[in-house]
Amino acid sequence: MIQLKNINKVYRTKTIETVALNEINLDVKEGDFLSIMGPSGCGKSTLLNIIGLIDEPSSGAISIANQQISDYSSKSTARFRNERLGFIFQSFHLINDLSVIDNVELPLLYRKVSAKKRRFLAEEALTKVGLKNRMKHFPSQLSGGQKQRVAIARAIVGNPDIILADEPTGNLDSVMGNEIMDILLDLNQNNKTTIVMVTHDETMAQRTNRLIRLFDGSQVL
Amino acid sequence: MFTNYFKLAIKVLGRHKFFTFISLFGISFTLMILMLVTAFLDTELGSHEPMSKRDRMVFLSQVTLKNIETDTIMTIDTIIKNGIAVYDTAYNFSPSNRSTSTSDAGFAFLNEYCRNVEGSEMETFYSPESSFDIFINNNKLTFSGIHADADFWKVFDFTFLEGRPFGEMEVKNQALSLVISKKAAAEYFGESQSYLGKTVTLEGKNFKVVGVVETMQGPQGFNADVIMPYTNMTANQLESQNSFQGGFQAIFLAKTKKDRRIIQAEIKKKATQILMPNPDEYNVLELNAWTFSESYAKQLWYDEDATKSLKKVFWIFVSLLLLFVLLPTLNLINLNISRIMERSSEIGVRKAFGASSGNILVQFVFENVILTIIGGIIGFVLASFLIYTINNSQALGDVILQFNGSVFIYSFLICLIFGVLSGVIPAYRMSKMQIAAALK
Repeated sequence: MIQLKNINKVYRTKTIETVALNEINLDVKEGDFLSIMGPSGCGKSTLLNIIGLIDEPSSGAISIANQQISDYSSKSTARFRNERLGFIFQSFHLINDLSVIDNVELPLLYRKVSAKKRRFLAEEALTKVGLKNRMKHFPSQLSGGQKQRVAIARAIVGNPDIILADEPTGNLDSVMGNEIMDILLDLNQNNKTTIVMVTHDETMAQRTNRLIRLFDGSQVL
Repeated sequence: MFTNYFKLAIKVLGRHKFFTFISLFGISFTLMILMLVTAFLDTELGSHEPMSKRDRMVFLSQVTLKNIETDTIMTIDTIIKNGIAVYDTAYNFSPSNRSTSTSDAGFAFLNEYCRNVEGSEMETFYSPESSFDIFINNNKLTFSGIHADADFWKVFDFTFLEGRPFGEMEVKNQALSLVISKKAAAEYFGESQSYLGKTVTLEGKNFKVVGVVETMQGPQGFNADVIMPYTNMTANQLESQNSFQGGFQAIFLAKTKKDRRIIQAEIKKKATQILMPNPDEYNVLELNAWTFSESYAKQLWYDEDATKSLKKVFWIFVSLLLLFVLLPTLNLINLNISRIMERSSEIGVRKAFGASSGNILVQFVFENVILTIIGGIIGFVLASFLIYTINNSQALGDVILQFNGSVFIYSFLICLIFGVLSGVIPAYRMSKMQIAAALK
């Protein structure tokens, strides 16, 4: 599903060069639930961003669903992200000025979908994460766990093949973290959604079916 | 999509009340001034009664007579030729203007040379200069009057409250017919339901009111109380109309807007073909007919060639307008940049979920246009109130500012341009933001 070949990411300033990723090769199969672990600053999030096409590698090739993404224009990349990828962030990144349902509808705004169908699909996604009764609420009225469930609903509303989760339980207590993990596992097992998750939490990582570890930008496991 | 943008725009405006107030104040004040200027320009330059056909009018208001003689200038100099100093003489011939006389046209001149001009559908000759002192009921009234021909009523379009204009036969027969403005009639006769058939005495002649019009005020020196057939001018006045110069002006009504240029060229050509009656006094005749906007510009920035006046006035006006719009726009751009910076996380999320840079650009410009339209509505209300107050207090004298559909459309366009201008630069900057950086 996802192939990374010789991915390098180097941040350059006038005086210093920092290697964030060094020769990463990775093959994620369809239906995999992959955890990426490693200490802070080892390049986990950078790798996830590169897989999610929201950051560009300094060198190397990315192929997702048999498509060479490196050749895409920025507009085609945006369309690809919209149709094939879903994102979950540690700090939720919900738009506080929009209601829960409007937040969930967001990915569909960039597709040719009628307002009625958008609403229907967003309601369906919120039902899956158990938040249908909070549709009209605003993010500020929700708990951390509820916010992350809204973020999951937003990630799945467009029915993507791949979900990329950057420490989805990082800001939650263990009970809420487990709830979120259950939802992700359910998506992976029942919807066959491929999930790549960055986490610090060993327990959460153990619940996924594959784990890689990074250290100083290199894959060590 | 736009519903979503709209909801968000309203929310964002409500969230930052102080910022919103500052922005709206700047926008509404700027737009109010722009709307006032637009209303003033529309009043002065737009097509309204009695000059609805002004786009087809060509004005000949001045006849210039010149005495041009060729000056011969002989220059004597010494040069060294073959080592010997010799005289070198040069002659220079150049036309020199000895005297110039510029005045309104004489009726006889217009009648003889300015009928059936190519490109013109009809023409009217009228004298706008008369002033009448009237003593009535121990009060002194001063009426300004126009002496006109019958076609005057076809070139101009007055709204008659009652009665009719005077016609061809009345002009020919020196009928003492008179059209009066409602205000002048009320001053002369006192308030009455009807003024038709009543008599107005001007310089010993008893004129009969045949028509009453709402107003005779308008741009281009149009500020009359009464209009009567030109054949009723006094013997002295008429006598003075028998030469090239006198007290008359001509307006030619072009068949189409384009034909105005044909009329202008034709009149210029005529000037070169007309034989001068007394070439010793004046040997060159100049006739310059101008369109409405050229005549108007000439009043503001004098140049013998009114097309140059129009160009200068136009560019001065455009520069001032740009400057006036640019300053608040720059201010708004600054405010917008800081406002949008706060929303970098939202931009990151939108882009991560598939928004293109174009989508982000459209969203933020749209939000800014919403803000500007709200400012525009406030500005519109303020401008309407100001125009009402200015008109009521007669602060601009007889000029009654118009605020109609076209002013509204111009104002709306100004709002849109203002909104897009002040929104597009910050929106463009933010739309190019890297997603990963925006989400940090």
